[in-house]
Amino acid sequence: MATEALAHPASARLQDYPVDVSAGDLFRHAPPDLAASWLTMADGLRALTDESGLPAQELVARQISDLGMSFRLTGDTEERPWQLTPMPLIIGAQEWAGLERGLIQRARLLEAVAADIYGPQQLIANGHLPAAVVTGSRFFARNMVGLEPGASGRGNHYIHVYAVDLARGPRGQWRVLGDRLRIANGIGYALENRLALARATGSLLTQVNTRRLAGFFSELRGGIARDCQRENPRIALLTPGRFNQSYPEQAHLARYLGFPLVEGRDLTVSDERLYVRTIAGPKRIDALWRWIDTLALDPLNFDSRSQIGVPDLFDAWARGGLEIANRPGVEVLEAPVFSAFLPRLFRTLLGEDPLLPNVATWWCGQPIEAAAVREGLDNLLVRTAFGQTAGGLASTEAVPGSSLSRAERETLFEALGRRPMDYCGQEIVQLSTTPALIGNGYEPRPFTLRAFVARGANGEWQVMPGGFARLSASGEIRTTLMGEGDLSADVCVVEAPGITPSQPTLLAVTPPVRRGGGILASQAADNLFWFGRYMERAEATVRVVRAVLGSAIEVDSAAGNNPEVLEKLVGLLVQWGALDPKAADNSVPKICRAALTEAVLPGGVASLFARLRSTGLSLRDRLASDFWRIASRPLPLIDGHRPGALLRIARELIERLSALSGLLGENFVHGPAWRFLDMGRRIERALALSAFTEVLAGEEGEPTEALGVLLDLADSQITYRSRYLTGPRRDPVLDMLLLDPDNPRALAFQLAKLVEHIEALPRLSEDLLPEAPLREARALLAPLMSLGVAEFGPERLDEARSGLLALSGAIAERYFLQYEKTETTTVRTLLA
Amino acid sequence: MIYTVVHRTEVEYDSPVTLARFNVRLRPAPWAGQVLLEHGLTVDPVPWTILDDVGPWVVNRSRLFIRNPLTRLVIVSRFRVEVSAPGFDLAMAVTPSVAQIRDLALAHRDLSPFGPAAYLYASPFVPPSPAITEWARPHLAPESSVLEAGTALMQAIFREFAYDGEATEADTLPGEAFLKKRGVCQDFAHVMLVAARAYGIPAAYVSGYLRTIPPPGKPRLVGADATHAWVALWCGEALGWIGFDPTNNAIARTDHIFTAMGRDYADVAPIDGVFHGGGGQKMEVSVDVAPEGEDATLPLLADPAAG
Repeated sequence: MATEALAHPASARLQDYPVDVSAGDLFRHAPPDLAASWLTMADGLRALTDESGLPAQELVARQISDLGMSFRLTGDTEERPWQLTPMPLIIGAQEWAGLERGLIQRARLLEAVAADIYGPQQLIANGHLPAAVVTGSRFFARNMVGLEPGASGRGNHYIHVYAVDLARGPRGQWRVLGDRLRIANGIGYALENRLALARATGSLLTQVNTRRLAGFFSELRGGIARDCQRENPRIALLTPGRFNQSYPEQAHLARYLGFPLVEGRDLTVSDERLYVRTIAGPKRIDALWRWIDTLALDPLNFDSRSQIGVPDLFDAWARGGLEIANRPGVEVLEAPVFSAFLPRLFRTLLGEDPLLPNVATWWCGQPIEAAAVREGLDNLLVRTAFGQTAGGLASTEAVPGSSLSRAERETLFEALGRRPMDYCGQEIVQLSTTPALIGNGYEPRPFTLRAFVARGANGEWQVMPGGFARLSASGEIRTTLMGEGDLSADVCVVEAPGITPSQPTLLAVTPPVRRGGGILASQAADNLFWFGRYMERAEATVRVVRAVLGSAIEVDSAAGNNPEVLEKLVGLLVQWGALDPKAADNSVPKICRAALTEAVLPGGVASLFARLRSTGLSLRDRLASDFWRIASRPLPLIDGHRPGALLRIARELIERLSALSGLLGENFVHGPAWRFLDMGRRIERALALSAFTEVLAGEEGEPTEALGVLLDLADSQITYRSRYLTGPRRDPVLDMLLLDPDNPRALAFQLAKLVEHIEALPRLSEDLLPEAPLREARALLAPLMSLGVAEFGPERLDEARSGLLALSGAIAERYFLQYEKTETTTVRTLLA
Repeated sequence: MIYTVVHRTEVEYDSPVTLARFNVRLRPAPWAGQVLLEHGLTVDPVPWTILDDVGPWVVNRSRLFIRNPLTRLVIVSRFRVEVSAPGFDLAMAVTPSVAQIRDLALAHRDLSPFGPAAYLYASPFVPPSPAITEWARPHLAPESSVLEAGTALMQAIFREFAYDGEATEADTLPGEAFLKKRGVCQDFAHVMLVAARAYGIPAAYVSGYLRTIPPPGKPRLVGADATHAWVALWCGEALGWIGFDPTNNAIARTDHIFTAMGRDYADVAPIDGVFHGGGGQKMEVSVDVAPEGEDATLPLLADPAAG
C-alpha cells in the first residue's frame, strides 16, 4: 500500500492528513486495524481518480445526479444538487456496538415515556416529570390520552422510527444532541448516500468490510406491517406534497420500500377506515408512515387550519382501523427540555443507568436550575425549551451565552424572568473531526451523526448500521439536516478484517411473485395523464415552430415561401397560446424565438416545459431517474434570432421529447400508470392532428405546400413518399393522416390506442357494461374505421374534435379526483 | 339561578355541499357551581351519524356527519342549567402573587385539561406579542396578587377597548385587535390571555352565555342574546379557576353560563367543520338566555350587536 501511495504523488493521500488535528479525530485516533480500513478507502478513491482522470468528488457527483438526488434549504424555490463527500466516516464494529446498545436503550425509554404521558401519567403524578414540560410542546396531543386501540393481538407501539442526532467528543465519547420522533429526515438521504458511494466506488465498500443497510429497511417495513390488522397490509407514505423540503427524499423512500406515496387529498376516511382513492375505486390503507406532523394530520381532530390532512384520520386510528408510524403526539418528546429529565427516567422507568448520555440540560422552569443558568450563562448554551421562538433569542437554535451582547443579555434576562419555562441551558459540546476530501487533499472537519432506529419485523429495535453524517462548514451544531456550505458523508460500520459482515437475513426470503405496479391513486393518474398531454403538446408546438423556421432558411422546405401557409402556421401558434397576437406580424425568427421562450402564455414552449417539470415532480416516485433527468433538464439558452441556431434548438427539443417517448415505450411497465400517461399523449396528438388538418387541408384547393407541411407536422413525409410517387394530394394525405389504422401518427391509430387502454383499465362494477370513457372512445373510433376519405368531411373533423374533449372530460370524471375543495366553517362568537 | 338557553344556528350554502363533517361544541361541560339539568341537540337535515364525545379540553363535542348534499343546515341546542354563586367571598379571598402562581403552576402535577399547566403557553390564537406584553406590564407586577392583577388587567381592557362588531373577524389575532383597540368579546378575551400568559399566569378561554338584564321597566327580548366569551385565571389550589369578563368588567358569578374552556377560541369554537364543494355561505345565529320565572317578549327586530 505504501509503495502504491508513493506512486501517485499528485492525488489526495490520507497519509498527508495533519497529525496535530483536534483530539478525537476519527482517523488519527483510530486503532491500527481500523486505520488500515481508512487507508484502504483512501487508496481506493485515489486509484479511481487515477483510472478515470476525474476527482473522486466528480465521480460521486455523477452518481448523485443519476440518482436524481437533490434538496432544498428553507427559502429555496429550486432544488439544489446534493453535497456528498466521497470519504465516508469509518467506524469500527466494536465502537458501533456500544453505540447501538445505547440507542436501543434510549428508544425503549422514549417508548415508555410516551406510553406513560398518553396513558396513566404516573411520571407526572409522582413528580418525575412536571406537567408543564409536557404542555409546553405544541405537539402534545390531548386527544391521544387514554387510548389504546387494538391492544388485543397486535403490537401497541408509539414509536416505530426514531432518528437521533449524535456528537462524538474529543475522547471518543458519544452524546445525544437531540431526539427526532416526528419525521426521520435524513433516513432516505442516508440510503441514497450509500447507493451513490457504492456505485461510484465499485467494490471498495466491500473491501473494507462495510455492513449493508438493506436489511434495516426490510426490518422497518416488517415492523410497521406487524402492527397492522391484516395479513398483507397496504402501507403508504403520507407526504405533505411536492413543495416540501424533503419531498425528493420521501419519493425515493416510497419507491425503495414499495409504499404508495400519498397526499392527504388522495385519502378518505369511511366507516373508521382509511382509503386511498384509486382508479379502481377506494382501496384500504392499513398503515401510514407519516411525514407530516401531528397538528396537520386531521383538521377535525387536531389543527382545524390544516390543508394537508385527512378529516377524521384520527378516528380511523383511534378505532383500530389504521396504524400510524409514529403515532400522533409522540413528537412531544422531541422538545429539547426533555433532555433535562430523561437521564433520571432511565432509573425510574427501566431500572437501568443510561448507557449513552445526552447533552446536559437544565430547564429554567425550575427555580434552582433557572438561577444556575443565569449565573453560568457565559459557559453555557441557551436555547428555547420547546423548539419554538422565545423572547430574547434570535432563532430556535442554541446560542452560546458568551456571544450575547449586554443589551441582548438584558432582553433575555427580562423575558426569562417573566417566562422562565420557555428556556433551557445546555452544556457546550466539542465535536471531534473526520477527514474530508476537499479539493486535492484531506482536511479535518467537525461532524455530527444522525442515527436511525426502527422496530423490526419481530417488534424489537434495530439500529441502521450506518447513518447520515453532516460535516459542518462552521463547526456549529444545528438542528437542521443540512446547512449552507455543509457536506454530507456516508457512515460505514466496518467489521474487523477476517469477519464477513452478516448478510441481512430478510433478503434471503423470496417474496411471492407478483406483477403490476400496485395501486394507482387517482391523483397520480391525473398527473400522469397531464404529464402525457404536456409532453405531446410541447412536441406539437415545437414542430410548428420548426415548420415556420424552415420557411425562412430551407429553399426546398415543404412550406417553401408560400406566405399563406406561413400565416396559417403563425395563426396556429397564436390560437394555442404560444404567441402573443401582437407579435404575429414580426419577422419569422422573432416569432419563433418568442414562441420558444414564451413562459407566461400557457401554450409557450417554455411554459409547457415548466409545467411538464412541475407535474413530473409529483410523479418522482414513479419515473425512472433517466426519464426524470431528461424531463427536468432546463431549456437550452436561447440568445439571439439566428434562424440556424433556433432551428438547432427546435430539433434538440424534438429529440429530447423523442427520447422520452422511447423510454416510455421501452422502460415503463405497461400497466395502468403507463396507460394514463399514454392516453394523455394520444388525446393531445389527436387534437393537434385535427387542428393541423383543419388549418392546412380544411378545404379543397389548399396549396400543395400546405399538404406538404401537414405531412411534416405529422411526421409522415417519408411514409407518404414511399407509398405514393406523386407529390402531396389531398385525398391520399388525409387518408394517411386520419383513417390509416397502421400509421402511428394517424387519428384512427390514436383512437384505437385509447380504446385499447381504457379496455385494459379496471372497472368499478361487475356488470360488464362499458363505462362512459369507453363508450366515448368507441364512438369516436367507429366513423374512422367505417368511413372512406371522401365521406370524412370538415364536419366529421369538427365532431372528432369535440368528441376528444368530451372523452378527456369523461376520463377525468371517472378516474380522477373531482375538483373538490375542502372548506372550513367557523362561527363567530358574536357578542359581548 | 336556573336558565333555559336556546342557541339556534342556521347556515345556507350557495351551492350544495357534500360529505359535511362538523364539530359542534354546544353542550355545557361539567363546571364547578353549575348543574346541567337537561340538554338536547336537534339537527336538520338529520345527519348520517351523530357521535358525542368529551374533550380534549374542558368541552363536550358532538360530531355530525352529513352524507347527502346539503344547502341549508339548522342546528338547535337547548338546555336548562342551574348556576350557583362561588362558595367563597372574593372580597375576603387571599390569592398567591403573580410570581408565586407561576411557580405553583410550573410545579403542578396535573396534566388534565383542568390543571393550570395546560394554559401556560402560547396557542394558535394566542401567540406572544411584545406590544401587549409591554402594555400589560403595569397591571401585572410580580408581587401583586393574582386577583388584583387579573382585575386590573380586565379593567384596563374594558376601559381602553371599544366594542365594535365590524372591526374584527373570527380568525383575527389578538395583536391586530390590540392595535385597533376594538373588537368583540372573543378579541378582548384573547388580548387578556396574551397578557396574562406573558407573565406566566395560567389563563384559559371560556365560551358560554351571559344573562342580559333588560332596561328598567322593559321586558327581556327573546333571541336577542348571543354567545359570549371570557377568561379564566388559575388563582391557586384553593380558589382554582376564576372567570374575568373584560367585555363587561365583571367577575363571572351567576350571570355567566359556562359552556367550555380551552386554550383559545379554536379549542372551543361552537361549530367548525369541513365539507366538499360549496361557494359562499351565510350564517345566522340567534341565542336566547331565559332566567326561569321572568317574562319575555319577542323582539321587533333582532340586532345582533345589541346584546
